Amino acid sequence: MVGNDLVDLQFAKSESNWQRKGFLEKQFTIKEQQLILHATNSFNVVWRLWSMKEAAYKIVTQQHEKRFFAPHKFECSFISEAEGIVFFENNKFFTTTFFNSFYCYTIAQKTNEKLAVFSSVGLPETIDCEIKQQLQELTGVLMEEMSQRKSSVGAPLYYQKEKLLTNSCSISHHGNYGAFAFTLQNES
Amino acid sequence: MKKEELITKLSVIVKPYIQNEEAFKSLSENTDFINDLEINSANLVDIILDIEDEFDIEIDNDSMEQMLSIKATVEIIQIKMNA
Repeated sequence: MVGNDLVDLQFAKSESNWQRKGFLEKQFTIKEQQLILHATNSFNVVWRLWSMKEAAYKIVTQQHEKRFFAPHKFECSFISEAEGIVFFENNKFFTTTFFNSFYCYTIAQKTNEKLAVFSSVGLPETIDCEIKQQLQELTGVLMEEMSQRKSSVGAPLYYQKEKLLTNSCSISHHGNYGAFAFTLQNES
Repeated sequence: MKKEELITKLSVIVKPYIQNEEAFKSLSENTDFINDLEINSANLVDIILDIEDEFDIEIDNDSMEQMLSIKATVEIIQIKMNA
């Protein structure tokens, strides 16, 4: 299982005010708030933590087909500059976060899985086409024969007629960017 | 406060965060914040903070967990205001 989340940093700056009263308390655990307040770049830590939680949430919704908004239930800790762990109930998710001056992008996987993840960042409008292109390269199935369906909670699934091609798939849009991450059906 | 009145107040609160104008125009009890209005999940917290300010209530984490639609949100506001 894979989940992803992208934050457009310029967009986050203009659309969200993390310093607003109550914002950190609603979104983050006490431990995470400490990480944010003691960081040299609090803004980056806010959005790294947020994207880690969202990427992990997208795995949970693929497993249980239930939507909810409970950022406190996902507690993050950092392993290194890029790697981290998200704890959710009895689950542990391993995350990798990429930062540049434009965006912050996290891919989450269940810690006990070692799957090949295919992922890329692009434009929001072309994500569907990019996924199909990559699937065509990997499986030999023609793009034209592929279709996207959605699970009851809105998780994307890619099919060739009735045959499911993706084992797990996650799409994230924010501001000027779109990103996908998927694993193949035969990987499971 | 009546349900219709709450929905009207709520629509004013969510307006700055919506990304789908069409869905906003036909906003009803069944409207979903993310699937219909395409609100960024990062802005859900802003909506919850705005609701707390507007209705002078406190929304706990358990209530927040369900606040993904107009219907669920109206129910929670009503419970909190009558508490």
